[in-house]
Amino acid sequence: MINRQRLRLQGVSLAIPVLSVFLALAVAAALLRASGSNPIAAYQDMISSAVGSPFALGTTLVKAVPRLLPALGIAIALRAGLWNIGAEGQLYIGALAAAGVALYGPALSFPFGAALALVAAMAAGALWGAIPGVLRAFRGINEVIISLMLVYVAIQLVNYIVEGPWLAPHSTFPATSIVANAFRLPILVPGTLVNAGLIVALVAVVVTWFLISRTSWGLRVRSVGANERGSRVLGVRVSGVVVSAMAVSGALAGLAGGVEVLGTRGRLLEGLSSNYGFEAIAIALLGRLNPLGIVAASLLFGALDAGGAGLQTAAQGTPAAIVPIVEALAVVFLLIGLGIFERMRARQLAADALRRSVVPAPADESAAESGTTGPRPPATGRRHPDADDATTALLTARKAEGP
Amino acid sequence: MTSSSISLLLVAAISLAAPLLYAALGETISENAGVINIQLEGMMLVGAFTGVYGAHVFHSTWLGFLCAVAGGVALAAVHGVACLVFRANQIVSGVVLNILALGATSYGLVVLLGSSAGNSVPTLARVRIPLLSSIPVIGPALFDQNVMVYVAFLLVPVVWWVLRRTGFGLALQAVGERPQAASSLGVAVARMRWLALLICGALAGLGGGQLTLAGLGAFTQNVTAGRGFIALAAVVFGGWRPWGVLGAILLFSTADAFQIRAQAFGAHIPYQFLAMLPYLVTILALAVLVRRRRAPSALGVNV
Repeated sequence: MINRQRLRLQGVSLAIPVLSVFLALAVAAALLRASGSNPIAAYQDMISSAVGSPFALGTTLVKAVPRLLPALGIAIALRAGLWNIGAEGQLYIGALAAAGVALYGPALSFPFGAALALVAAMAAGALWGAIPGVLRAFRGINEVIISLMLVYVAIQLVNYIVEGPWLAPHSTFPATSIVANAFRLPILVPGTLVNAGLIVALVAVVVTWFLISRTSWGLRVRSVGANERGSRVLGVRVSGVVVSAMAVSGALAGLAGGVEVLGTRGRLLEGLSSNYGFEAIAIALLGRLNPLGIVAASLLFGALDAGGAGLQTAAQGTPAAIVPIVEALAVVFLLIGLGIFERMRARQLAADALRRSVVPAPADESAAESGTTGPRPPATGRRHPDADDATTALLTARKAEGP
Repeated sequence: MTSSSISLLLVAAISLAAPLLYAALGETISENAGVINIQLEGMMLVGAFTGVYGAHVFHSTWLGFLCAVAGGVALAAVHGVACLVFRANQIVSGVVLNILALGATSYGLVVLLGSSAGNSVPTLARVRIPLLSSIPVIGPALFDQNVMVYVAFLLVPVVWWVLRRTGFGLALQAVGERPQAASSLGVAVARMRWLALLICGALAGLGGGQLTLAGLGAFTQNVTAGRGFIALAAVVFGGWRPWGVLGAILLFSTADAFQIRAQAFGAHIPYQFLAMLPYLVTILALAVLVRRRRAPSALGVNV
């Protein structure tokens, strides 16, 4: 009985992201209709330029990668209870480093050039991401505000570089020269835009999954996210975890910048990222912090982006701005759906507790009815539902180690 | 550097400060009640758009300002539904609403303001205060501006007084510091947070409207260009207090005005470095200076 209800809750939890997306598409269709466009034709255009041909599929993949990588990083930080909302800035700094190595670094041959540039991108992103981590760990300053501020510092820095010192000769817009082939990520599938950045992203998915689920560092990260004070008592150096989680998070965002420069764009330019780092926050959440969920969510956003580009060129003249509206609405509905879900879960937990208790006190009964007291629902966002067990796991591990 | 160029710099600095001031004072109220609005930028952007659209439809700048307020409040209400009703994380909601605001205003620009006729509205006239405006150097900056600039600066003492000297303001801060305690003392926490959030939306919308209706007379894509984030930084740099916020904004807007008029001063600082300034000084102030005042304890925490 209880198990069936639990199962039902789990099903709802998986259904919420899907439902949110469909609801967002429906609202956007109404908006398109109201503004005189034909929503069915618009969606047909979007679908055909997102998945309608090998080239379209390739475009979707290429647009998914720079969102997937920062989203993985944001999920790692969030597992440690940290909000890295500065992925956009880390992405730009990574792009800057990759372009710097590719344009002014040692003359290497492929694949060593590209590899070095990607490593530089990760290192730069890690440094940029570590700044809010350090300030949080050692000065107690909220990482949200610092990482957000650093986004605009990074963007202005890149703007300065591409408008001034690194501006390509005879360029009509702020951009560097195209990087040499030894530093480029080659096209994987001829006739599409799919480049080796896709492989980089897939490796990153596996590596981040491994780091979080199968290493002691991952256990510490999840433990700090679940219960910071408890982890400290158990001997976890919390400041080290905070800084390293933010650095890894930044490295993944920086890698996205490197992939954009060396793969898709071939150069560093102003406006390299169209809010990829911010959308990645929504993607991490939409994917419920799970690597496979994040892959699915970034494919969805990539498809929407590719589809939106199709809208722009299509005859209807439907504004492509409908795409960010769909993306944002999907996440707004997701947030509301998760809120409703947490209430359901709290009620369920209260009901379970009531059933287990030997003598149900009248007060408990009313609590179970209203769902107000009883076990508090876990604070959404700062901790992941799976992470609740991480501190316990760490405790078990410590006990096994012995004194 | 002549006195007339300094005078022009100050005129620009004061008028650039007004939109930031509206948004930042709104955010000060909201953050003191424990609600953080990363979507401050989005609320400004929506206000900037609805302001121009309203002024166009109703042929009135003042009704335009009213529409700007309504636009800001609408986006704030979405944040409220997500965070205050459904307990969504305030940061996530804010980030997503920024994306929504940029998308929705870009869409609206094409669909509603597409024609160039629709996207051009008269701007507010300047109101010259006799005598005071002829004070050398600072006179034109302080006493020869449009009405909404004066209102923005007069709001600073008003917000200070409300927050510090009224029961409402003290209850608001209690909600931001110790929501549970405030609740047990009979303060309606949820209602206070809603009120603070909607006031913030109204002021941010007004700030956006100030940008388009008092300044540019038109809406362009992403017209706010990060001003909401600068206002957000100003609230932190200003220590969550109205006078501190005013100081921060005057610093940022003077730097901005200096950037615009840099040639007049023969300066060769790349403008990107001046554009970084608000963020860099905020980070440095937080990291290096002794913290005079911390953020409200329950900031961003849902209750």
